[in-house]
Amino acid sequence: MHRIPAWLIALPFVAPLVLGALGTLAPAFGLVPTLAPPDAAGGGTLAGFASVAGDPRFVPAVLLTLKTGVVATLLVVALVTLTLVSVHGTRLWRWITASLPPLLAVPHAAFAVGLAFLVAPSGWLVRLVSPLPSGWTRPPTDWVVPDASGWSLVAALAMKETPFLLLAAAAQLRILDVDAALRIGRTLGYSPARCWSRLILPRLWPRIRLTLAIVMVFNLSVVDLAILLGPGNPPTLPVLLVTLVNDPGSRAAASAGAVLLALLVVVVIAFALVAERVLTGAASVRRRSGARGLGLGFGRRVGQGIVLTLSLASVASLTVLPLWSLAARWRFPDALPSEWTTRHWSGRGSMLFEPAFETLVLALASAALALVAAVAWLELERHGRAPRIDWFWYVPLLVPQVSLLFGWQAAALLTGADGTWAAVLHAHWLYALPYVILILAVAWREHDPHWEHAAAALGAGYWRVLWRIRLPLLVRPLSQAAAVAVAVSVAQYLPTLLLGAGRHQTLAIELVTSFGGVDRRVIAVLAVLQSLLPLVAFVAAMLYPSWRQRRLAARAARGARLSSQGA
Amino acid sequence: MSTPPTLAPETARHGAAGAMTLRVEGLGIRLPDGRSLVDRLAFSVEPGVVLAVMGQSGSGKSSVLAWLSGTLDPHLHARGKLWLGDTRLDTLPTERRRLGLMLQQDYLFPHMSVGDNLLFGLRGGNRRARARRVEEALEGAGLGGMATRDPATLSGGQRARVSLLRTLLSEPCALLLDEPFSRLDTARREQIRAFTWEAARALPVLLVTHDLADVPSGARVLEIGEDALPDRLSLVRPGEAR
Repeated sequence: MHRIPAWLIALPFVAPLVLGALGTLAPAFGLVPTLAPPDAAGGGTLAGFASVAGDPRFVPAVLLTLKTGVVATLLVVALVTLTLVSVHGTRLWRWITASLPPLLAVPHAAFAVGLAFLVAPSGWLVRLVSPLPSGWTRPPTDWVVPDASGWSLVAALAMKETPFLLLAAAAQLRILDVDAALRIGRTLGYSPARCWSRLILPRLWPRIRLTLAIVMVFNLSVVDLAILLGPGNPPTLPVLLVTLVNDPGSRAAASAGAVLLALLVVVVIAFALVAERVLTGAASVRRRSGARGLGLGFGRRVGQGIVLTLSLASVASLTVLPLWSLAARWRFPDALPSEWTTRHWSGRGSMLFEPAFETLVLALASAALALVAAVAWLELERHGRAPRIDWFWYVPLLVPQVSLLFGWQAAALLTGADGTWAAVLHAHWLYALPYVILILAVAWREHDPHWEHAAAALGAGYWRVLWRIRLPLLVRPLSQAAAVAVAVSVAQYLPTLLLGAGRHQTLAIELVTSFGGVDRRVIAVLAVLQSLLPLVAFVAAMLYPSWRQRRLAARAARGARLSSQGA
Repeated sequence: MSTPPTLAPETARHGAAGAMTLRVEGLGIRLPDGRSLVDRLAFSVEPGVVLAVMGQSGSGKSSVLAWLSGTLDPHLHARGKLWLGDTRLDTLPTERRRLGLMLQQDYLFPHMSVGDNLLFGLRGGNRRARARRVEEALEGAGLGGMATRDPATLSGGQRARVSLLRTLLSEPCALLLDEPFSRLDTARREQIRAFTWEAARALPVLLVTHDLADVPSGARVLEIGEDALPDRLSLVRPGEAR
């Protein structure tokens, strides 16, 4: 594996990025007449841009995208900060960090559906307080979900992305030795909150800046969540562009819009970097002031209350889905269904089986291929045959999916690859690989090489050492990486939609398509099914290494027993 | 051996300003499984006195110090009273106890310059006065002109001195030292010891150490466990309040 050329792994990763960029830019500037006929775009190289800018929905869509994306990201930052400052080191912190992987495993679309079922006027939250103490005997009419201002979308993005950033922060906190910083800072007279703001957060943020950029890009460019919980007229810019790209006459406008969306993301990130620099400067001035802070325990308890409430809301969003999927009769304002049934599951076997099977096969195939590619690359890197370029693997996550996939779809159309299973698998692999390689990289690089040296000294060749020593010893990170890859693949909506050309019905596609037009109980079944696949993968990833360990221990004990009997 | 640097008078005086006797009564620390780590410990440390807490690994020396500073692992159960003069400290949070703490590692904050680390420790004063105090403290410690340096560029001995200066500039009423010399090389260790005892001469000091050479002559020793001690040191047994 360490002898294969590095380009063999890099090429399938780089090619879609290059083709995606070219395939978006070229139609945007009217350079591919077969894809974007000049007459439809109005002629000229900038006709696509003129066309999209002239769309009356364009400016409101840009403003809505900026509002939802930026506010959701600021909320994520605020919630992560609040969690760290008020909860770190407590029992709640241990509970939250333990629940992060399963929360992350839940696909965005399923989470959005659960949140809608929770906070809608006829949702579970209202039912739990009705008729007493709220006094509602009918669903209130004061709000709707999704709302016209985009706040439902903001809430869903903030609640779904906070665990992602929190997980990245928790991993970095282990390196920063937070306890020592808190100990020293407090003995110098600073309150815990001041210790966080002056000693820990200034060192933490640069370490999770890239993850935060990924969150920002996602919030500005998300499609499935925006379709489910965003306003419909105007929609967010990415949703508007997906609508346009499906109209052959508007391809140039859609591509131009995708270029503008990428530019918008660049501008927002540049602005965020400038804001970070200004805030860092101001913070370093305040650090020199010597002000100790009041150390209000009350504020910390309020923070803990907010974090606990939001954590419970996330859990409730996921709990309400199986309830609806098993409800035969659930009248308002009952807190629970009055009659239960399994007919929504059993009665729609054929409707569920095909998308579930397609989703499962895609997830397993893309996870397996991502694992092989990641292991191969890390082996090449270990033997000095490939460079260490962690930033490179982040690229697909830092480019809006719309901006990349429009071009990739255009290239697939020109080569006749659109709609093929291989094209969809390739797209799922591209989005799974960054997570797999970055999860594995730490364990791979820190693994003690003396194990391999000892095996080699016993006469084992390269492949035997890899299969019998390195891979089994790294089974835990390998299992985790595989589970994450499955979760990423199961959640993919836009890559399946655009490269699958409507021929591949995964659960993500079914769920987004059905939402709003189908019985709530059927949608709940789809959402539960979509959540179950990655959850099963995470549970398996957690249990498999322990099971393997126990089996080895049992075998060793049996061997020892036999040898003692022999003696 | 080179002469140890002396502390700027302004910096040293601050320790003396609030110095009072540190007193512990009936300290007991239990492990999560209920076993006793420290039982009915009592002692007092007057200003200008060094009390060395010695004992084998796992005897609870560092846990005693952590309890004093209010940073004991929450899984351990402790009871007892801590007084500084007439003020009871064990009911106060760490940041209000005013007990300076130095650990094996110097924990200079890597995102701050040497000067900013000291400014972080310094209490009160306007910007100009604070900057002057820091510069004086550095001059007195033989580190003049190093305020803008990155702590990562300092030697181990320089880092140890900056760490001690930072603690003293926070105007502690007593000093708690948890093996602060153990990571220094032999050549620098004696110099930093002398610097520390000079700087902390007006404060009650509690020193946790394995190494008898760390203990200054005239210091009292509180033995936890079964360590043998040389005759030159006065002995305070657990349970004996002085």
